[in-house]
Amino acid sequence: MFADVLRGLRRNVTMTIAMILTTAISLCLLGAGLIVARMTDQMRQIYGDKVEVTIYLNEKVSSQDPNCQAKTCQALGDALNKDSDVDRVTYQSQSAAWQQYQQMFAGQPEMLQIAKQSDLNSSWHVKLKDPQQYKVIQARYQDFPGVKSVNDQSQTLDRLFNVLNGIRNATIIVALVQALAAFLLIANTVQVAAYTRRTETSIMRLVGASRWRTQIPFILEAVVAAVAGAILAIGGLVAMKYLFVDKTLGTIMNAGILPPIDGTALVWVSPWLGGIAVGLAGIASYATLRLYVRL
Amino acid sequence: MIHLAHVSKQYKASTRPALSDINLDVEKGEFAFVIGPSGSGKTTFMRLLLREEIATSGTVEVAGKNLSKLRRSKVAWHRRRLGCVFQDFRLLNNKTVAQNVGFALEVTGKARAHIRRVVPEVLELVGLDGKANRMPRELSGGEQQRVAIARAFANRPLLLLADEPTGNLDPDTSGEIMLLLERINRTGTTVLMSTHDNTIVDAMRRRVIELHLGKLVRDEARGVYGVGR
Ligand SMILES: Nc1ncnc2c1ncn2[C@@H]1O[C@H](COP(=O)(O)OP(=O)(O)O)[C@@H](O)[C@H]1O
Ligand SMILES: [Mg+2]
Repeated sequence: MFADVLRGLRRNVTMTIAMILTTAISLCLLGAGLIVARMTDQMRQIYGDKVEVTIYLNEKVSSQDPNCQAKTCQALGDALNKDSDVDRVTYQSQSAAWQQYQQMFAGQPEMLQIAKQSDLNSSWHVKLKDPQQYKVIQARYQDFPGVKSVNDQSQTLDRLFNVLNGIRNATIIVALVQALAAFLLIANTVQVAAYTRRTETSIMRLVGASRWRTQIPFILEAVVAAVAGAILAIGGLVAMKYLFVDKTLGTIMNAGILPPIDGTALVWVSPWLGGIAVGLAGIASYATLRLYVRL
Repeated sequence: MIHLAHVSKQYKASTRPALSDINLDVEKGEFAFVIGPSGSGKTTFMRLLLREEIATSGTVEVAGKNLSKLRRSKVAWHRRRLGCVFQDFRLLNNKTVAQNVGFALEVTGKARAHIRRVVPEVLELVGLDGKANRMPRELSGGEQQRVAIARAFANRPLLLLADEPTGNLDPDTSGEIMLLLERINRTGTTVLMSTHDNTIVDAMRRRVIELHLGKLVRDEARGVYGVGR
């Protein structure tokens, strides 16, 4: 049976290759889209409960009152501690910020050279009871004496999420258009195959083969070609990860800003792509045989 | 085996009916010729029995089943009880003789072991033992028709339909094919054969059903080709 399927596919090599490639491109894009979507979800989880508002103190307070003992800094700290929207506050001095900076970019001397301790500000890190209330906190504290700026990480994160969602949507839309092309190509290939093998199918019907038995070789051929496409697509994703993503985005992933795309993401997406390939080819070929081919 | 009552067939594309008001019975185990000039409706008659076409009116019964009421999903099942042979052999040119016969069994769901046993048997019956691995194009017309008969007979049908099976063959070869069909008939299979060939019909002295312009004009138990017109 499998030998027959391969023979069927070989009979029209050009169409088979076109079918495999179109399916592969579609599934590769879809796979990339799914991986980005999964990454976004993981990021929401990673960052979700760590998001905090940072109130930076101005240069004067930062350098002259490193341990937050003077009135300006204390007053701000008291106000925050009493604020009913605030869950928890911690103080980070200029030297602590500098230490953190040095740790973060330990491997990158150029990053260490462009900054010095006095460029950084001491700050109050505020964890909100409800992270959505960030606007209220900003309005309340940005004009407080000694405050330089109020910065919300979730804003930066949202921008990152927007970029990722954009990438996800774009790849999935292109993938769907490509999937439509694959669908039509499969439909057409099945029609051509059914036409070139009409003697065979008419004999099958004549000797009493069921309609289903007559159709199944065409469906199997389409499914096998689509699965070949899915395997190519998975190969493409693996190549993309090692040759492109790891090289260009490796540093920010290692720094923990983006969750890494590791083997599990590829293992997770592969059965999806395989399943979609089988479904797409199965439906396209079956519908074509039902609607356009008289067997 | 076959029962036709007031059967008419009108093709959409044509003005006169291909068959009109045919009444006919063929008993189990009979051998009957269907004769008549080109266009008289012989092929249409066969196609009705195969359920390739449905009668416009009237009842067509084969082996006790009313074909007009047969569900579409039952058509394959119906055809498995029939064998059919045509003027143009309808063999698969990329398969060997044995594969051509085996193919028919395989696609109707017969077990491999059954196929391995039956194919040589039936090839021997049609006189093609030793040619099992030939390709159809390496065979004469008569031999190709034997392959087609072997394929039709492999699942031991109740009824064998042969639509001008000797139409492409020379007289000697036609005679051999006739003898083969007669041998198949002697196994108890009902055989219905359409033909133009008067010498065969005259020699056989079998039942003759004659059609003319879609009408049944003669049904004679031991007929010859020429009489009756
Ligand atoms: N598929 C068809 N569509 C329309 N007319 C047909 C079709 N098949 C046969 N006919 C017509 O029906 C008549 C009987 O044809 P047919 O059964 O093939 O006769 P025979 O086999 O005796 O030559 C002819 O007039 C033919 O033109
Ligand atoms: Mg005819």
